[in-house]
Amino acid sequence: MKKTDILDVISRKLAPFILLFGMYLITYGHLSPGGGFQGGVVLASGVVLLLLCQGTDRVQKLFPLPVVNSAEALGFLAFLLMGFAGVLFGGGFLSNFLPVGKAGEVPGAGFILILNLVVGLKVGAGITLICFYLFKE
Amino acid sequence: MTETLLTLHIVLALLVLFSRNLLTAVIFLAVYSLFSSLLFFILHAPDVALTEAAIGAGISTFLYVWVIRKTRDGVAS
Repeated sequence: MKKTDILDVISRKLAPFILLFGMYLITYGHLSPGGGFQGGVVLASGVVLLLLCQGTDRVQKLFPLPVVNSAEALGFLAFLLMGFAGVLFGGGFLSNFLPVGKAGEVPGAGFILILNLVVGLKVGAGITLICFYLFKE
Repeated sequence: MTETLLTLHIVLALLVLFSRNLLTAVIFLAVYSLFSSLLFFILHAPDVALTEAAIGAGISTFLYVWVIRKTRDGVAS
């Protein structure tokens, strides 16, 4: 496939902002619209933009395939561990056991922030993996 | 506003159904997703609108275009 300068420059300028917006959606998911799933999908779409415009080799130098693969599996494991930690320390499965701060602050969310981060990692790595394997075929 | 958007949805869905070229159908499907994300935002569901814009207009369009490209290569060779 022929690559033009427009694609190269636009993807380089735009992709960091898309990745940053995905992280914003994940970390502020309990305060504003967004959350783990939506932020993860936006993260993955940033990686797909890089994949389409920069090629597989340069993207996999930044996001190596084994790292994304294990992040996808470890995300599910971390979600289960957080759920069962709720059984051990709190009331039941997925219940909050961390101290809760004032409403409207990012670190004051206790359990939800960590859960959103884990779900965002899992979803982002999963959709990125789908596109990696589809692109490699 | 909602009625206009719903009418647009019907028109776009008919365009997707009756277009002969597969690539044109996929592009119409992306436009359909974009307008349905706008509809979700107007109906006060910004979470669903974000998901629809990212998955419907972004990832699934990429998947469809890629699959069409691969199957055409398979048929030609």
